[in-house]
Amino acid sequence: MFSYIKKSRKILGMNSRNLEYIRAYNLKENRVLADDKLLSKRVLKKNGITVPDLIAKIKNHDELEKFDWQSLPASFALKPNRGFGGEGIIVVYGKKKERDDAWIKADGSLITIEDLKTHIRNILDGSFSLAGTPDIAFFEERLRLLKLFKPYAYKGIPDIRVIVFNKVPVMAMMRIPTRESQGKANLQQGAIGVGIDLASGITTTAVLGKGKLIDYVPGTRMLLSGIRIPFWNDILDLSVRAQIISGLGYLGTDIAIDKENGPVIVELNARPGLSIQIANLAGLKERLERVENIKIKTPKRGISLGMNLFGGEVEEEVEEISGRKVIGTVEKVRLIGKEEKEIEVEAKIDTGAGLTSIDTTLARELGFGKTIDEFQKQEFPADISTEEARMLDSKEKQRLLKEIPDIVDTAIIRSSHGTSYRPMVKIAFIMNDVKITAKASIIDRSNLKFPIIIGKKNLGKFLIDVNKIINLSK
Amino acid sequence: MIYVNEIGTYASSIVSFFIFEGVPYETVKLILMLPIIATLIAFFRQVVGIKAFGIYTPLIITFAFLATNGLKYGIAIFISVIFMGMLMRFVLKPFRLLYLPRVAIMLTVVSILILGVLTFGGNMRRTGLASVSIFPILIMITLVEKFITVQIEKGNKAALVLAMETLFISILGFFIASSPFLIRLVITHPWVILLTIPVNIILGKWTGLRISEYWRFKEIIKKM
Repeated sequence: MFSYIKKSRKILGMNSRNLEYIRAYNLKENRVLADDKLLSKRVLKKNGITVPDLIAKIKNHDELEKFDWQSLPASFALKPNRGFGGEGIIVVYGKKKERDDAWIKADGSLITIEDLKTHIRNILDGSFSLAGTPDIAFFEERLRLLKLFKPYAYKGIPDIRVIVFNKVPVMAMMRIPTRESQGKANLQQGAIGVGIDLASGITTTAVLGKGKLIDYVPGTRMLLSGIRIPFWNDILDLSVRAQIISGLGYLGTDIAIDKENGPVIVELNARPGLSIQIANLAGLKERLERVENIKIKTPKRGISLGMNLFGGEVEEEVEEISGRKVIGTVEKVRLIGKEEKEIEVEAKIDTGAGLTSIDTTLARELGFGKTIDEFQKQEFPADISTEEARMLDSKEKQRLLKEIPDIVDTAIIRSSHGTSYRPMVKIAFIMNDVKITAKASIIDRSNLKFPIIIGKKNLGKFLIDVNKIINLSK
Repeated sequence: MIYVNEIGTYASSIVSFFIFEGVPYETVKLILMLPIIATLIAFFRQVVGIKAFGIYTPLIITFAFLATNGLKYGIAIFISVIFMGMLMRFVLKPFRLLYLPRVAIMLTVVSILILGVLTFGGNMRRTGLASVSIFPILIMITLVEKFITVQIEKGNKAALVLAMETLFISILGFFIASSPFLIRLVITHPWVILLTIPVNIILGKWTGLRISEYWRFKEIIKKM
């Protein structure tokens, strides 16, 4: 009981947050900046921080009537200036073909100029603003979802919340929209919060909504831990600089990563929520107290302090917890062929491919020359339809397996070049100290950059980090 | 001269003074109760973590309960109002109305509903319900605006939770404000209400975790 209370002192509660941090470090004049999205956008931009581009703003009903709707691009986000919790935001993804008065929303439904007008009237009347005060509506560029996040996010775009205190990033999480949160990255509404290790930017533990701990994206087998957030250093740098510019001592920054422009600050939050502690399974108060009275001169110092104090050896940890090695998109592998023949090559890690395939020449070097010759003797057509390949396979497979040496299976592979019918052989490879036995299909890859691609089927023991670059001199 | 109330309590001289100057006894009692209920609500927010709709709404609902003839009618009206608020949100959603007209429609529907409830009560020979005075009813009807605001800000579920918390605090407030012990205390020693000030100063400086937060963060504490 006593230790329970002692442990709970490391957690930041609502009372303490309001009294000891917001009241003490976030002066009212600075809070105004965070609550006014247009103002914070302008101030941040002036100070060299990337923010989503402003397209247009509508300040009153008069401006709404005069607004030139054709000046809007095909995709944009419409937001209330003083909105909170992601309410009142409409995102459109493209213009409806052959109509100049309608756009398409995330769920595929149409939204017309009339609909937008009604929504903007609601914004102007303050339906989405704190305390219901009249508000301004604005259009900004739509941020494009990073490929890496695509399988995790439902409709919306994930964002990254970093809490910065006294120039030190103290805690971070990624918020992923779900079906339940209706594409909004807001935990209160049922989004996922994933804790992030501050030193490496790799995700750790995850919480669904207000307090349910989860390992996977609900309804999928997408593991939430071990995702390496790209541009991690830039994200921390943006956050710390934004804190200094804003004058808010205790700040939550919301950062989204645009496919082309990289990390941008979407919003500043002068009253960041407490759920971030659950996502990280760590207490915030303890961290805040540790950096409270330190004098920090530059953002860089603050960042390295935060990384050192609050980051773990997460890469090893992830590998330890998951029992899986972290690899990049290109990895060195040592192939082991027939009679223990070993060849080292660079392999492309391709989660888009189901099976592993190797180049004909490489397969020959590994001792499968006979297999290739025998298969080529069959003179199967090089370019056939999938249907034909299936017919061929059902007719010939058993015979091939009997007659051709070392063939273990056949594969029908569809690619952008068309369908091909290929022999498969058994190989082994060592990647990142893990030995994998795989069935590989053989195909001519002489005009491609990598002589081998490793497909999903053989990647189960690894976690892929798109930012990891192999050390070729190693 | 000393005033003696209906349960035979001798009021303090200052309370007697108020009453003999013409302030009704009931009014004096309720006004003296108000700081205590307010402090109770502050305590629930800061220490227990029960939020309710701010301080004003649970306070006024408590008094509405005190003024309706018996708690059960108050609760019945409260629940009807909240239920209607939830139902109307779905009904009105496709119309996409601006905020104030939407609230006005809600109020209209709630008013009709309340009238229906009262008539039904009268019909069932529940004369207690039909004879509830107008002001507590008005207070309850305006509850719908608070409810809608929260509904827009935080969604249906959160609004319902807050409404239930409000109901809980108001019921508790009702029992506290009608407890003979407390009534006797404020009538005989009205100065005790000044004690709520230091209590609130302590509450206002309280930085510990709320009881609800021990529950909210239990997974973190477990993992430490």
